[in-house]
Amino acid sequence: MSHANIIKRDRNVVINPLVTCQPLGAMFAVAGIKRGLPLVHGSQGCSTFVRYSFSRHFREPSEIAVTSLHEDAAVFGGRRNLLSGIGNLTARFKPDLIGVISTCSSEIIGDDVEGFVKVAKDEMREKIGEKADKVEVVSISTPSFVEDHFRGYDNGIKALVDNLSCDPTESNEKVNIIPGIVNPGDIREIKHIMGLMDTDGIILTDTSDTFDSPLRPSATQLKPFYPKGGTTVDEIRDVSNSLGTMSLCKYAGSAATSMEKKYNVPSTVGPIPIGVQNTDEFVRRLKKFTDSEVSDELLDERGLLVDSMADLSSRYLFGRKVAVYGDPDMVAGIARFVCELGMEPSVVCTGSTSKDFVEDMKQVARESDGPVEVLLGQDLRALELKIKEDPLDLMIGNSDGRLIAQDNEIPLIRAGFPVYDRAGYHRRPIVGYNGGINLIDRITNTIMEKYYDKTHWKLQQ
Amino acid sequence: MPYKLFEVDKEIPEREKHIYVKDSRDPSEEIPACNSKTIPGCMTERGCAFAGVKGVITGAVKDVAHVVHSPVGCTSYGYGTKRYPTTSELPNGEKFPIENFNLKYIIGTDLKESDVVFGGMKKLRQSILEAAKEFPEANAIYTYATCTTGLIGDDIDAVAKELTQEIGKDVVAFNAPGFSGPTQSKGHHVGNHTLFENLVGTKEPLETTPYDVNLIGEYNIDGDLWILKPYLEEMGIRVLSTFTGDCCHDEICWMHRAKLSLVRCQRSATYIADLIEKKYGVPYMKVDFFGPRYCAENLRAIGKYFGLEKEAEKVIKNRMDVLYPQLEFYREKLQGKKVYVFSGGPKNWHIPQPLVEELGMEIVAVSTMFEHEDGYKKIKERVGEGTVIFDDPNSLELEELVEEYCPDIILSGVKEKYLAHKLGVPCVLIHSYENGPYIGFEGFLNLTKDIYAAIYNPVWKFLEFEDEIKASEVEKGLLDTNLDNRVQIEGTEVEDVQKYNKKGEVE
Repeated sequence: MSHANIIKRDRNVVINPLVTCQPLGAMFAVAGIKRGLPLVHGSQGCSTFVRYSFSRHFREPSEIAVTSLHEDAAVFGGRRNLLSGIGNLTARFKPDLIGVISTCSSEIIGDDVEGFVKVAKDEMREKIGEKADKVEVVSISTPSFVEDHFRGYDNGIKALVDNLSCDPTESNEKVNIIPGIVNPGDIREIKHIMGLMDTDGIILTDTSDTFDSPLRPSATQLKPFYPKGGTTVDEIRDVSNSLGTMSLCKYAGSAATSMEKKYNVPSTVGPIPIGVQNTDEFVRRLKKFTDSEVSDELLDERGLLVDSMADLSSRYLFGRKVAVYGDPDMVAGIARFVCELGMEPSVVCTGSTSKDFVEDMKQVARESDGPVEVLLGQDLRALELKIKEDPLDLMIGNSDGRLIAQDNEIPLIRAGFPVYDRAGYHRRPIVGYNGGINLIDRITNTIMEKYYDKTHWKLQQ
Repeated sequence: MPYKLFEVDKEIPEREKHIYVKDSRDPSEEIPACNSKTIPGCMTERGCAFAGVKGVITGAVKDVAHVVHSPVGCTSYGYGTKRYPTTSELPNGEKFPIENFNLKYIIGTDLKESDVVFGGMKKLRQSILEAAKEFPEANAIYTYATCTTGLIGDDIDAVAKELTQEIGKDVVAFNAPGFSGPTQSKGHHVGNHTLFENLVGTKEPLETTPYDVNLIGEYNIDGDLWILKPYLEEMGIRVLSTFTGDCCHDEICWMHRAKLSLVRCQRSATYIADLIEKKYGVPYMKVDFFGPRYCAENLRAIGKYFGLEKEAEKVIKNRMDVLYPQLEFYREKLQGKKVYVFSGGPKNWHIPQPLVEELGMEIVAVSTMFEHEDGYKKIKERVGEGTVIFDDPNSLELEELVEEYCPDIILSGVKEKYLAHKLGVPCVLIHSYENGPYIGFEGFLNLTKDIYAAIYNPVWKFLEFEDEIKASEVEKGLLDTNLDNRVQIEGTEVEDVQKYNKKGEVE
């Protein structure tokens, strides 16, 4: 049992941030809806930078509209921009849902986005009649100067559920899953586990296909292009009939709590199922909600992970010091898994200031052989300086840390968002038992390359 | 009428005047409407003014700390997005201690709700002081307004002025909040004026020669500058200052001492050449180095200006002798292939003609995000009959264009690339390049190779599962892709949102 040493930021400036502002999270939430389009009520940069970020990470199109606020809107308000934005988007893209996402600009100029949305709907009804009611328009408040992209994701999922869910009728025997800002491969793994438990899920929201869709022209919807997949609006309407809600992200539990209050749908919030213990917990909860048995196939998959841990951990990984950085839930999950592998998460770093994260890290420290330096509400510069001070063996985190890794000659295992300097990371899971197998392989191979290749005879058998 | 209303634009007919089809029988001087506000919700590809100033103009300077006065988002997005590498060399022969400093760090004031309510100037002040302390190596500090600080009215100029005194280094404030101007072009404009007004004429170079030039509007994208600079040096011309690729802060301060300014990106940087000419009498020449012919012509013009004609010819001959034999293979392969170029601005008139002349390709359409009237006039001159020239295209128009004009390749940015692929069309990144640099003689070969690889990527043969394989196809081999046989794209068009079943599948 070790100690978690919390180190907070001791300067005003942020240098190479590990978080971004709220709207990105809301855009991610809306992007997981079938024929769902985010409409950002702000400047063009607010949509363009996020499209750029999504496209280079997923290597997929990312269609995000913007109301193009300019000086006149700053003075007179953005009402006209928003009304015309909703109107144009509806007419030309025929979406099932538009998520209107506020920004720092629209929040500061005081636009009543919710009120404008109502007016826009009335205008549309006059123009195109009943068809207007087939397009859901949900407003999501995401002031950029409050907290970070996780709050935006949480606000987005909550707004979707609050606006679309209907009163319960009869059970649909499904479980609602709020996956968090994770990769398509992760959501697919969650669905795979649920499949092995013979349970259907409503994923809030499902970016697994929308951000990893096949190149198959004959089966692609064009003019407008919409990616395959996504959660349908009807599925979200149905969430109140589910057996329970599991938010796999500690920082996005508002919708789960709200459904529990409003419809009595029981809920659990966190942890993200990375590693053996967290995945076991996920499976236990799923079992409880659905009253189903854990299938033999799933137990075999668990066994494959445990088998590779038995084969690899003690020989190659034990005692190695690791830095983990990025989004708080991913960092907490990976740090715990690292302990399960007999390694030491000696430095963890997140841009979030959440108390939950501190609690998670205290638990990780209890499970670790060595002390855990917790950089809380920090940035990549803080991580860089810490690593220079206390050298370590391995870094796990996003591509933005690659220069730190190069400068300090520490191998970097890419995980989280964004990963733009390697291929395929959005596709392979890090959650679930299969995610664990994927991670342990990645970690072990990296260690072998860096620390064993020179003494190659050690790898002979 | 030379204007065209796309089918997908019937609900926004105002788009018609932005889409011009070149028709030389049309005697008018008309060009597409441009540099005006985007229609809200049309799915534009444009960015904001902050992106224009930090992302394009200043981010390439190698020895400056950048402090973005914003909530955390703008700072995050300002990090590592543009490919402009730097060397550590400084004009005085010393080395800047941190490699690729411009790509490595971004600093932000991380504004919170209370700053929005009570004002962010105090925090900006503290942040700049902290930045100076954190990076004592930095030779100056540049700070940027964003939407939030523009709206709450923080006087960042006042803070910069005060701290310049206190820190003893230049602190320069750039007032281009995201909402200002219709495109990122506004940020270029602000960047030029701010750097000129605050810096040019404030320092003197260590030495001057009769052959000193400013290379303006060259941002060293993927190493473009490192191709161009040797041409000039071999001719005996010294690049006194680059604006701003691989440059240092001081170079901007002594731009007034050059004998001539060469303006490379004429959209984003003619402003400063103009200002320097007016105030300091340094003439400027607009130059174009994309494609071998333009590159040669412009090197000759520079040679003529300095009386270095022979030297220019030597540089040209050396490169041409290497380039042309290599182009032959690609010319044969790319002859007749149709191209759509979607650039930010000037690459629309830099790139098409060389592709036509050197490779026999056909330009079916060109479009820009932020070009102005002067640029569109040049574009119109340089494209062939029937070419579609459009301003600020949105993604639906892109789809219609692909359907109607069937380009064999699209040259564009990363946001459009993956959509192009879903439409079954190869795409090469033209803003920041794929395997660049693309400028000059060597660069043109790189561009050609990338276009070849994209079009002849064997994948385009496998877009759909085939029940039977034709023996003739097998014999051809993978790289002998005949594009006419490429799978025809027939997407599912869904008119009514109701045509979905509960599983969300198209019925």
